[in-house]
Amino acid sequence: MMVRTLNFYSLSLLVLQPLTFSLVGMLLSRAAGRPMPDLVYNIIGGGVMGMWSGIVFTSSWDIRGDRYTGVLELIVVSPTSLFTLNMIRSFTNVLSGFFSMVLAFLAAVFMYDLPLNEANLPAALVSLLLLLFSTWSISIFLSVFFAASRISGHFVEYLEMPVAILCGFMYPIRILPGWMKTVSSFIPIRWSLEAMNESLLGLANLPYLLGHWGLALLLSFAFIAVTFLMQKKVNDIIRVNGELSAI
Amino acid sequence: MLFTGSEGRISNQTIEVINLKKTFHSRQGLWKIKKKETEAVKGISFEVKRGEVFGLLGPNGAGKTTTVKMLTTLLLPSSGTARVAGFDVISQTAEVRRHIGFAFSGSRGLYNRLTAIHNLKYFAELYAMDVELTRSRIPELLELVGLADRGKDLVETYSSGLVQRLHIARALLHNPEILFLDEPTVGIDPVGARELRQTIKDLIALDKTILLTTHYMAEAEELCQRIAIIDHGEINVNDSPEALKKRISGDSVIEASVMASQVDFLLDQLKQLDGKIKIETKRSIEPEKIILKTRQPEKALELLSPYINHEHIIGMEVRSQTLEDVYVTLIKGQKE
Repeated sequence: MMVRTLNFYSLSLLVLQPLTFSLVGMLLSRAAGRPMPDLVYNIIGGGVMGMWSGIVFTSSWDIRGDRYTGVLELIVVSPTSLFTLNMIRSFTNVLSGFFSMVLAFLAAVFMYDLPLNEANLPAALVSLLLLLFSTWSISIFLSVFFAASRISGHFVEYLEMPVAILCGFMYPIRILPGWMKTVSSFIPIRWSLEAMNESLLGLANLPYLLGHWGLALLLSFAFIAVTFLMQKKVNDIIRVNGELSAI
Repeated sequence: MLFTGSEGRISNQTIEVINLKKTFHSRQGLWKIKKKETEAVKGISFEVKRGEVFGLLGPNGAGKTTTVKMLTTLLLPSSGTARVAGFDVISQTAEVRRHIGFAFSGSRGLYNRLTAIHNLKYFAELYAMDVELTRSRIPELLELVGLADRGKDLVETYSSGLVQRLHIARALLHNPEILFLDEPTVGIDPVGARELRQTIKDLIALDKTILLTTHYMAEAEELCQRIAIIDHGEINVNDSPEALKKRISGDSVIEASVMASQVDFLLDQLKQLDGKIKIETKRSIEPEKIILKTRQPEKALELLSPYINHEHIIGMEVRSQTLEDVYVTLIKGQKE
C-alpha cells in the first residue's frame, strides 16, 4: 500500500484531481451568478470525485499491473482467493482515496469557512463511513470484471464519469432527470453521499437519514453478495479463456 | 511416502495426465463473427513419479506452457483428466494449489519495486503462512538459492539469473511437494544457468518432484530422469534421456568444417559410403559444415582423412549422439 500510495502519480491523483474538480465547480457556481461557491457540493464534492477516481483507477491498475507483471497468475494459484485479495486491496484503495476527502473537508472548513454550526456532524460522520463502505462494495464489484479479461480494465474510463454524474458528486440529486434518479437509486454511493451532504447542510432529519443509511447498507451488501456469487463464474471464465496473463 | 487421492486410491504417481486436451476459442475480424479454434494440446498422456525430475521439451508453441498451466489449475482442460498430488485439476483446484509451486521464466511474476524479502513476505501471506514460520523460512530459502546477501535489494536491481533464483525461492515458500519450472534458464547467461541448474539439483536432494519445461537439451539431459518431447500439442516420445538417444540410433556424429567451395565435391565423395548414413549440411558463413550420422564412423573417417587440409576440411569432430540430435531428428521428422 505504501509503495502504491507514496508516489508522485498517486499523490497527484489524490490531491490535484480533487483540487481541479473543486476549482471547476466554484467557477461554474460563480458563472451561474452565485457570490459564494456551494461549499458542500463544490469543495467536498471535488474530494468525493478525487476519492472515486483514485479508487476506480487504482483498483483497475492493481489487476492490470498484476496481469502485465505475471503476478495475477501466481495469485490465482495461491490458496487465497482473488475475491479475498480484491476485498483487501479495494479497502486500502478506499483508505488512500479517503485522503482526498479529508483534504477537501479541511479546505472547505479552513479556507472557505464552511459553516458547521448547522451541520449534523455525527450524522455526517456516519454517512461518511457508509460512503466509504458503499464505495468499497462497488470497487470490489468492479475488480471482478477487471480480472475477467484483458480488455475489461478499459471500461474504467466509461464508468468513472457516469457514476459521478448519477450519484450527484458535485450537485444535488434532485436536479437530475427522473430516469437518472431511478438508475442512481441502485447505486449505494448515491444514498450515503446524499445523507452526508444533507447532514453537512443541516437539512437531514432522522427518518431521512435512517432511510438513506439503510438503502446504502442494503445495496452495498447486495453488491458484495452478487460479487461473491459471480467470482466462481469469473474464475471458470478466466481458466477457460486463459486471459490471466498479458501474453 | 505414498499419498492417497481423494478417491482413496494410493498412487506413486505424483502427476498423472490422461488424454489431456486444450482448445482455445477466439473470434476474428472486425465484427468478431469468424470463429477460430486453436488446439494447443491434443490429447497428451504421461505420468511423473514421486521425486522424479520430468522434462517437457519442445519448440516454441508446442504446448509446453499450456500443459503446465492446466496442471497448475490456471487453465481448464477442454477434455481429458489430470491429477496432481492425487487431486483432480478440474474439480479439486484448492487441494492441487496447496501441493504445488510454480516458477515462471523471465522477470515476470515478481514486484520489481519491492525487495526480495518483501516479495517473499507478500507471497507467504497469500499462502496464509504462519508469521513465525515465514520469518524462519525466508532466510533459509534465500540461502538455498544463493540470495542470502541480496534479500534487502530491490528486485529491479537483480540480473535475470538472480530473478530466476528468487522465483524458485518463492515457489518453495510453502514447501510444496511438486514444483513446476517453466523454462527456468531462458535468457540467463551460461554461468547463471549453471548455478540455477545446481539449485535445481539441490531441490532434487530435498525429494521434490519437478516438472521442468525447457528448450535446452543439455539442461534436460543433465537434470531429468525422464523426458517427453512435445510438438504441435502432441507428445512424440517419452523416455529416459539414454533410452531416447538409443531409440534414434547408435549412430556417431561426425561434424566437418569445410571450405565452401569444396562442399559439393566432398558430398560426392561421401556417396561412396555404403549402409545407413545421414548427411546434413549447414550452409552459412565460411567454413560450412557437413554433419554425418553413421553407425560406422571409421569408414567415413577413412574416406575423409585425405581431405583434412587447408583447402578442403579444416576441422573435424567425432562425437556420440546428444539429446539435441534426438530432439532435432524428432522435431524435423514431424515437420517432414
